[in-house]
Amino acid sequence: MTDHPTTTWQAMQDGNVFYRRQQLYSVSEKLPKLDDHVIAGCRYSGPLALMRDSSKIIVLGKSNVASKTQIQIFSPAGRPLLTFSWDNGKIIRFGWTHDEQLAILNEDGVYRVYDLQGDYQQFSLGSDAAELGVIDARIHESGMVAMLSNLSLLEVKGWEGGQPLTLASPGISEPPHAWAVIPPDLNISRHVEVLLSAESTILTVDNLETIDQRISRGPFTHVSPSPNGKSLALLTFEGTLWVVSTDFQRSMAEFETRNVVGAEGLVQQVEWCGNDAILVTWDSLAVLVGPFGDTLQYLYSGPTFAVTEPDGVRVISTEVCDLIQKVPASTLSIFRPGSTSPAAILFDAWQSFSLKSPKADESMRSVRPDLSTAVDECIDAAGREFDPAWQRQLLNAAKFGRGFLDFDNPSDFINMGQTLKVLNAVRFYEIGIPLTYAQLFYTSPSHLISRLTTRNLHLLALRISTFLKLKPDVVLKHWASAKILRSRPSASGTGDEAELGGDEEVCKLIVDKFQQLGGADVNYAEIAKRAWEVGRPGLATKLLDHESRASDQVPLLLTMKEDRLALEKAVDSGDTDLVYHVLLHLHKRLQLGDFFRLIEDGGAKLAPASKLLQVYAREQNREMLRDFYYSDDRRVESAVLSLDEATRASDPASVLTSVKAAQKFFSEDKDRTFEAKMMDESHRLLTYQQVLEKETDGKVPFFGLSIIETIRTCLLNGMGKRADKIKGDFKVPDKRFWYVKLHALTAIRDFEGLDAFAKSKRSPIGYEAFVRHLVENGHNKEAIPYVAKCDSPRRADLYVECGEWRLAGKECKDRNDKTKLDELRKKCPNTLIQRELDQIATSMK
Amino acid sequence: MSSDDQTNTQQDDSSLDVSILKDIAKKVLVDALNSVNGAKTLVLDSSLAGPLGLVTEVALLKHHGVDKMFWLESGPLTSTTTNIIYLCRPSIKYARIIADHIKKHLKDGKKHLYTLLLVPRKSIMVSRVLEEESVLGEVTILPYNLQFIPIADDVISLECDGAFKQLWADGDESIIYDSAQALDTIQRTYGQFPRIIGKGDYAAGLQRLATLLQRQAASAAAPDAGGVSTQGNIDSLIVLDRRVDMITPLLTQLTYEGLIDELVGIKNSHVELPASLLSPPNPPAASNVAGPSTSPPANPTPLAGLKKETKKKHHLATSTDPLYAELRDLNFGNVGKSLNRVARRLDENYKTNLQSKTVAQLREFVGKIGGLQTEHQALRLHTGLSEMLLPLTRTDAFNRSLEIQQNLLASYDVPAQITAIEDLMAQGTDLNTVLRLLCLASITGNGIKAKVLENIKRDLLQTYGYNYLPLLLFLSAPPLAILLPNPLPSFTPAVVSSLKYPFSGLRKSLRLLIDDTPEALDEVENDISFVYSGYAPISIRLVQCVAQKGGVLSNPAEKEKPANQTNDGQGKGLSGKVQAHPIVGWKGFEDVLVTIPGEAVDIALRGSGESSTISPISSLLRGREQATTTVVFFLGGCTYTEIAALRWVGRQNRGRKFLVATTGIISGNSLMESLKPPTSPATPAAAGL
Repeated sequence: MTDHPTTTWQAMQDGNVFYRRQQLYSVSEKLPKLDDHVIAGCRYSGPLALMRDSSKIIVLGKSNVASKTQIQIFSPAGRPLLTFSWDNGKIIRFGWTHDEQLAILNEDGVYRVYDLQGDYQQFSLGSDAAELGVIDARIHESGMVAMLSNLSLLEVKGWEGGQPLTLASPGISEPPHAWAVIPPDLNISRHVEVLLSAESTILTVDNLETIDQRISRGPFTHVSPSPNGKSLALLTFEGTLWVVSTDFQRSMAEFETRNVVGAEGLVQQVEWCGNDAILVTWDSLAVLVGPFGDTLQYLYSGPTFAVTEPDGVRVISTEVCDLIQKVPASTLSIFRPGSTSPAAILFDAWQSFSLKSPKADESMRSVRPDLSTAVDECIDAAGREFDPAWQRQLLNAAKFGRGFLDFDNPSDFINMGQTLKVLNAVRFYEIGIPLTYAQLFYTSPSHLISRLTTRNLHLLALRISTFLKLKPDVVLKHWASAKILRSRPSASGTGDEAELGGDEEVCKLIVDKFQQLGGADVNYAEIAKRAWEVGRPGLATKLLDHESRASDQVPLLLTMKEDRLALEKAVDSGDTDLVYHVLLHLHKRLQLGDFFRLIEDGGAKLAPASKLLQVYAREQNREMLRDFYYSDDRRVESAVLSLDEATRASDPASVLTSVKAAQKFFSEDKDRTFEAKMMDESHRLLTYQQVLEKETDGKVPFFGLSIIETIRTCLLNGMGKRADKIKGDFKVPDKRFWYVKLHALTAIRDFEGLDAFAKSKRSPIGYEAFVRHLVENGHNKEAIPYVAKCDSPRRADLYVECGEWRLAGKECKDRNDKTKLDELRKKCPNTLIQRELDQIATSMK
Repeated sequence: MSSDDQTNTQQDDSSLDVSILKDIAKKVLVDALNSVNGAKTLVLDSSLAGPLGLVTEVALLKHHGVDKMFWLESGPLTSTTTNIIYLCRPSIKYARIIADHIKKHLKDGKKHLYTLLLVPRKSIMVSRVLEEESVLGEVTILPYNLQFIPIADDVISLECDGAFKQLWADGDESIIYDSAQALDTIQRTYGQFPRIIGKGDYAAGLQRLATLLQRQAASAAAPDAGGVSTQGNIDSLIVLDRRVDMITPLLTQLTYEGLIDELVGIKNSHVELPASLLSPPNPPAASNVAGPSTSPPANPTPLAGLKKETKKKHHLATSTDPLYAELRDLNFGNVGKSLNRVARRLDENYKTNLQSKTVAQLREFVGKIGGLQTEHQALRLHTGLSEMLLPLTRTDAFNRSLEIQQNLLASYDVPAQITAIEDLMAQGTDLNTVLRLLCLASITGNGIKAKVLENIKRDLLQTYGYNYLPLLLFLSAPPLAILLPNPLPSFTPAVVSSLKYPFSGLRKSLRLLIDDTPEALDEVENDISFVYSGYAPISIRLVQCVAQKGGVLSNPAEKEKPANQTNDGQGKGLSGKVQAHPIVGWKGFEDVLVTIPGEAVDIALRGSGESSTISPISSLLRGREQATTTVVFFLGGCTYTEIAALRWVGRQNRGRKFLVATTGIISGNSLMESLKPPTSPATPAAAGL
C-alpha cells in the first residue's frame, strides 16, 4: 500500500486547516533552467511556455541556446510539446488562452495565437499600437490588455481578432510599478478592470473611467487578483503582503515577508492558491500564507515557477511538479486524525471488514443514521485523491456502505468511477494533464476533449468522449482535418488521375469513419474548408456534399467560386440573409451582365433570390434594378419602377417623364393596353392639372390629384366649367360626377347652385342621396325640397330624417298609409308632435 | 365519477404559460443593454416601439442605463452620452439613416460608441450598406432576438406588420425563416411538435425549414434534451399561410374585438381612444345597446379624481380588464346584452353595501370594493366604446358593404353586387372597403367579368388616383392573384389558373354558410360562424379538419344538449364535452384539401415507427390525464375573429387547447394599407403578368 494520504498534509491555523503538497510528476533533467527564462503557465493543469530571458546572462556554448528567439512548450510532466522560433519583433508578453492556445504579443502590437500544433493566427492591435509601440501587456483567458508607450490601455476581447477598445485614460506619467487585470467575467460590471500601482496608490481602470482608490501604502511590486476576482494580493516594496477585497473596502490579511526565515533575495512570485491562500516564492523557497497570516514553508532545490489554479497552486521546480492545495472537505473529514465523522467511521468500518474484524459491525451500527451522507462523502473523497489505490479504497468503502442503504441512487457512484478513469488516464505522464476533479468540472469535460484533440491525441479523446457519452463530432472533425493535412498527395508525379483517386479515398475514409462512429452531424464544411486551404479543391467539394447546413456550405462554395451552386444552396436553405450574402458577394465580383444571367438562368429555382435582389435594389441600387428589368424584358416591372419613381419625385417635370416612361413600357407589351391607356390618361390629367394651376396662379394645388378630386377642387373654387370639361375629357360616368358635385356644392353651401344642378336633368343617383347627404351635414332645411322628388313610399321616413314630423304625417295621410303613421306615432320624440300626429290620424278616419 | 370529471376539467385549464416568452424577450433585451457599459442613448425604430411596449416598460430601460430615447429618423442626432444604441429591424432605410448619423458625428468630431441591435437577427444586407457608406468599422452589430410576444393568454405574435406584404408582394421570404426560428424556440421551451400539418405553399416552406432547424438543434444540443418534462404538451403544429384563406380577412369582422380593430384600429394590442372614454365622467348612457346599463349608483366623483388619465393609448389586456375577456369574442350584437348583465351584477354588488349591518359585513364589502371599482371602470370603458362603435355600424356604407359581403358569400345575384360596389365607389367610400369587396367578389365568383372589371378598374383609378395602378397590378399577379378577370386572358401564366379558389365547392364541403335567419340564429351561436354572423372562416374550418373533425360537418355544441356522461372518454358526443380526438392529420378531408391551391403537408417528426406504435396508446392515456395543446400558426397574420373562432373551437373539446401563433394581427384594412404605393413603392415583383 502506498503512503497514507495524510503524509502529504501540513496543518495550519492550530491544526484546523490542512494543506497538502501532492507531487504530480518528477521532472528532473527535463526542463531547462527556469530562472533563465520568461515563463507562462497555463491554468487548469496546462503546459508551460518558456522563452529565454534576454536580460539574464548565460554561459555561451551550452547546448540548447539558440541565437534566435525560441519558444518552448512543455507539458507539466516535462515532456516537450512544441518548440518554434519567433521572428517577428521583440516579444512583449505571452500567455495562455482558455482554449490552451498561446498568445504572443510583440512590441508592434501584432499578436499571434498558437495552438499546440504550431499553427497560428495573426492579428493586430491597430495602427495606434503600431505607431506608439506596446510596452507591456497582461493576457488573461478571454482577452488581453496592452499598454502602449504613451501609457494608454488597449483592450481586446476574445481571441478572434476583435477590434481593440481603448480604455479610459489612466492619467499616469510613468509606467506603473506593477499591474494586473481582472477578467470581464469575474467583475460585477462584466467588463474588464485594470489595476495599476502608481505612486502610493492603486488606480482601477475600466472602459468608462479611472478611479483612484486612495491608498497610501504603495507602491507595490506585485499585484495579484485571486482566481475568482474577489480579492487582491498586494506586495509593497517593504515586503508587506496585504490582502484586500477588489473593491478595497475590506482588508483581509497582512503579512511581513521580510520576517520569513530562510528567505533570500527578492520575492519572485505572489500567486494565489485557490481563493483563500497565497503562495509567495523566493529563489528556492515557497511560503504559503493562509487567510489569518499563518504560514507553511516549502523548500525546493533551485528556482520555481507557480501557476495559480482555481483549487490550488501548481509549483514547478527543476526537480518536481507539485500541486499545493487546501485539503478538500470530504478528504479531511475521512482522513483527519481522530475524525469521527460518519464518513470516517464508514471508511474505518470497511477497513475492519476487509480485515475480517467484527469491529465493522459495531461501526456500521453507529453510523447507520448518517450512512447516506457518509457514502456520498466517500465517493467525493475518492475523486479528490490522486493515487488510484486510495481512490479504489474509498470507492470500495462507499460500495460497502451502499449495501446497507435501502434506497440509493447509484448514479453518483458510477459517475465518479467513470470520471476517475478519465482523470487517471489524462494524468498519465505521457499525456501530462494532471487535472483535478474540481478543475475538470470547472472547465467541463468537453473542454478536456478539445485539449486532447489539440494535442493530436485523437484516439484517447474519442474513447473518453464515448466513455462519457459525449458526441464524438469534435474529435472526429479534428481528426479529419489532421488526416487531410497528413494525407497531402504528392504534388507531382502521380498525375491527375491518381490525385482524384486520392481525394475519393480520403473522402470515403472520413465519411465512413464518421458514419461508423455515429458522428453523422459532424460539420463537414469545416473539414472541407481545411481541404480547400491545403489546396485540395476536389476533396473539398466532395466533403461539402455531405454537409447538411447550408449556412456552412455557402461561404466555402463562394471562396471556391462555385457561384451558382452557392446561390442554389443558399436559396434552398430558406435563410434569406444567406441569400443576400451570396448575392452581394457575387454582385461585387461578377460583371453585371454575368450576374444577371446567373440569376435569370436559374429560373424558378432561383426565383426567391431574384425577388430578394429586387427588394434590395429598389432601396439601394435602382440603377441596377432598371438594368435588370430591362435586360430581362420585364416591361411591367419596368413600368412599375417608373411609377414608383414618379411617386418619389418632387418636381412636376420628372413626374411627367416617369409617367410617360411607364406608359411607354406598358405600350410595348401588347397585353397591357389597358394599363397603357390609363397611363396615357394619367399623363394627360397631370398636364391639364398644370394648366389649372397656372390659371389659379398656383394658389390652388391640383398636381397629382385624382380625377374626382380635381373635379371637386374645381367646384370648390368655383370653376364649374372646368369640372364639366374634365368630366367630358376623361369620360367620367354621370353617377360619380353627380355625387362629387353634390358633395362639393354642399361643402361650399352653394344651395342655389345645387338646386340648379338638381334641376339640370333627372338625377342619375336619385334624390334620396341629396336628402341624405344634406341631412348628414346638418342642412335639414335645405334637404326638405328634395324629399318631394323622391319615391313616394320613402318620403315619410325621409321627412322624419329631416326632422319634419308634420310633413311626414301629411305624407302618410296623402298616401293613406295608416300603419306608417302608427309607426311614426310610436317613435315621435315629444308630446307636441304626438298631438299633431294624433290629429292627422283622426283626420284620416 | 364526479371527482374524475373535476380533475379532468382542472387539467383542461392547464395550458402553456406563454408569459415565459415575455420574460425571455425582456431578459435578452436587458442583457443586450448591459453589454454596453455606462449610460446610453437608445435610438428606436418606431415600428418596434409597439412590440417592445408589450415586452418591457420604459422604467426598465432607464434602470439599465438608457438615458434618453429617440426615434430612428433622418435628421441630426445629438446625444449626450458616449454610447449610442440603435434598435431596429434590418432595413436599408434605417441603415442609411444610421450611416448619416455616424458620418455627421465624425465630421463634427464627436466621439461615440455605436451599437446596433438588429431584430431578430444580424443582417448582411445592413452591414453591406454600412460598409458602402464606410462606417461599418464604427458600429458593433448585435442581434436582439425578439421572437414571439404574448399578446393574450393564448395568442403569441411576432408583431411583424409587414409580413403579408413581404411575402406576397415582395417575395421576400425572410419572415418564413424568422418564423421557423421562433417556432423552434417554442419547441425548446415547451417541447417538441410531434407532428406538423400545414396548408399553403409558404406554409410548406416553413414546415421544411422547421424540420431542418429541428434536426440541427437535435444534433447541436447533444444529450441534454431538456424538454423531457414538458414533452407531450404540444400535440401538433398546424401551419396555415394567408393565401389559403384570403376571404376571411376581406370580410368585416363582427366580434367586439374585431369590430374595434375594423373601426377604431388596434395596434400592438393598443387602441387609441379619446381621453374622455378612459377617464370618467361619462355622459349618461342612453343609446339602445348600452342603454339599459343602469349607470351605477355609486358616486363617481372620488373615482374621477383618482383616475385622471391624460394619455389616450389604452392597452386592451384581459389581465387588467377581466370584462374584456368576457366581451372580446362576442358577436357585437350580443355585447349590449352582456354589458347590461354586468352592470346589473355590479349594481347588486354595490347594493349589498346598503344591506351590510354588522361591522364584519362592512369590512367584507370594503374588501371587495377595489375589485368592484376596477370592474366599474372597465364597464364604463366598454360601454363608452360600444357607444362609439354603434353609430359607425349604423352608417349606410357599413351596412351596404356588409350586405354585399353576405350576398357575395352566398353567390346571390353577383352582377347586382358589382353594381353596388360601383355605387359605393361613386359615393366616395374609402378605397380599402372597395378593394376588399372587389377582391371578395373575384375570389368567390371565380373572377369578375373581364369587361366589367376593366371598367371598375378605370373608375377606381379615376376616383382614387392613377398611382394605385401598381396596387391593382399586384392584386392580380401571382402569387396573390385575388383580383382576376373571368375568363382569364390568354396571356396569363399557368400559375394563375392554378391559384383559383374553389369557393363554391368549399362552401358546401366545409359548411361555410349558416343561415342568418332568426330561426337559425341559435345554430350560428353554436358554430364558429358567429364571428361573421353566419359565415365560418375557412382557415378555422381547416383547423377543425385537423383538430375537431366532427365540427366541420355539424355543430358539436348541439350534441351537448342530451348530455349524458359515460365513463368512456372516447364516447364521442355523449359526454358533456367531447374528448378531443388525437391528431391524425388531414384524414377524411383530403378531397377538400386538394381543391384548395397550395401544397398540403403532414409530417410526423419523431421517428415514424415510434409515433405509429406509441402514439395511439399514449394519446389515449394522455387524453384522460393531461390536456394537450395544438399550436396554430398563421403565416402572414390572422384576424381577431379567427382567434375568437379558434377559442370557441377550443371550448368545445375536452383535452385540447389551442395556442394561436401568428406573424401579426391583420384586418382587411391593414392588409390593403400595407400594399398601397406610398408605403410600398412599386409592388408587383412577380414575373410575367
